[in-house]
Amino acid sequence: MDPLIGMGVLALIGAVAAIAGYTEDLESVVGSQSNPNSQVQLAPQMKYPHRLFNKAISGEPLSNGLAAVIGAVIAVSLDIYFDLSVPTLIVAGSIAAMMIHVVLATTSFFGRISSQSRFKQPLYMDVFKTHIPTIAAYAFMTTACILIICFLMSIYLSVGIPIPLLALILGITVGAIGSAVGDTHYGSERLYQNLEFGSGINAAYSGNIVRKAESGIRSGMDNSWFASKFGGPTTGIAFAAVLFMTSWMTVLFNPAWGNAVGWLGLIAGILFVAATAVINRYLEKSARRNFGPYREEEKTEIVE
Amino acid sequence: MDFFIDPIYQFTLLILITLGGVLITISVHMIPVGGAPAAMSQATGVGTGTTQLAAGAGLTGLLVAASVYILSGDALLCLVLGGIGSAIMLSIAMLIANIGYIYGVGIPLASGKASRDPITKDRQDIYVSKGTEGHGIPTAAFLSGIAGGFVGGIGGSLIFVALLKSPAGLPFESMSAVIPGAIILSIALFFVNAVIASYNIGGTIEGYYDQKFKKLPKAVVVSALITLICGIMCLLIMIQLELAYYGVNV
Repeated sequence: MDPLIGMGVLALIGAVAAIAGYTEDLESVVGSQSNPNSQVQLAPQMKYPHRLFNKAISGEPLSNGLAAVIGAVIAVSLDIYFDLSVPTLIVAGSIAAMMIHVVLATTSFFGRISSQSRFKQPLYMDVFKTHIPTIAAYAFMTTACILIICFLMSIYLSVGIPIPLLALILGITVGAIGSAVGDTHYGSERLYQNLEFGSGINAAYSGNIVRKAESGIRSGMDNSWFASKFGGPTTGIAFAAVLFMTSWMTVLFNPAWGNAVGWLGLIAGILFVAATAVINRYLEKSARRNFGPYREEEKTEIVE
Repeated sequence: MDFFIDPIYQFTLLILITLGGVLITISVHMIPVGGAPAAMSQATGVGTGTTQLAAGAGLTGLLVAASVYILSGDALLCLVLGGIGSAIMLSIAMLIANIGYIYGVGIPLASGKASRDPITKDRQDIYVSKGTEGHGIPTAAFLSGIAGGFVGGIGGSLIFVALLKSPAGLPFESMSAVIPGAIILSIALFFVNAVIASYNIGGTIEGYYDQKFKKLPKAVVVSALITLICGIMCLLIMIQLELAYYGVNV
């Protein structure tokens, strides 16, 4: 294939991946499904009942991998038996995945909240009714974007991996990135917004999450508004960059043109990794310079 | 009957699969993960579970390895590019997580386990905020993570290539049936080894300079044993594909 078309397809994949990462992070924030869920789960036990939606179906990678693979299997099965266009297949697959995801979200919400009844945590039906459509919409968007990427990769980049398997791999990857990148902003900043900015969360505050919103009582919706300003976009950028940079190696330096070209791709990959390490070092130094230490540097020697 | 299953060849592949499993276990020990505490900026590392991050990185590497194998058919290139694919995924995830820590939460990157960064020799303990065990991914942990990603990617790709080569009697056209099988089994072995390493790590590890890294030999022994057993099962499944192709009922 012409490398120019390949780069165009890659750019499109990158754009769709950015949306997938964005919606994935917001979906996990609305339902507080990720590592910060431990704090939401802990809050009623520390006598802080809340109105947050609490679902932790599983770790984000597996939950997203499941949704993506359900969507892909439905789409591919419909493709075998009916003569449908690719967008129709993607929409049909995503709707099926969304429905399964909503079932899991519902059962985990009722299970998790009702198990905390001994800590006087009420089960708010209005929280359930208002959050479920949002969770469904974000789950639909994430699955649809993953399926678009899978079809693009399978048709134009000729990856050679069956679409359901590709969807499983990409779903697990988007979950891993969403869990690693976006959730720190939700867990460290949004849940503990009453603490002073610019510090890690002291373990003594565990469970003491903020329960008041900008107006009224805080719900998952308020959190998704906050995450959409930083956590979501960074997740999107990270997932897009991962897909772009890993596919770029094999599209621009296609090993099919000869092994020497493939090894050039390896050099490009190493250069990119080295560049991220340099940028990280620069960020580390600038943060230390601008924020300063928490304690004064003692004159005595450090005890190793 | 124009096929023959060579036991010595399959045994060599089994050794390679075991080696791949051990490499994955080593890689999980090198990746800086903080688990749930890191998501609250209470521990150094990436704020997600060990298994999940390692699996995300390893599967990205596997995707690259599979596409390189399909494009070129060169096993060595496939291994190395699979490794670099994992390293790229981890480097991006760690860099952007650090951007989140610095600009989103407003904290400097600091290690709780070492008073000086082993590589840059920067003072760490005074940058750790009160009541936490460090936060973010400082340079030594970052480089350890990249190395871990590379090793894990190579391990995953090694398992993939070994499983792919197992039904050696199959013609190249039937590769489209063998590749998905090899990928699914590699994913399975990846998860098995990542979970074994997680027991050793117990939630958080900062990288090669962490005290928990010294427990690595135990994990390597367990991983080698488990991967050997699982590897036999996987090879049996892959040989079945070859038998099925030639119409042998087992």
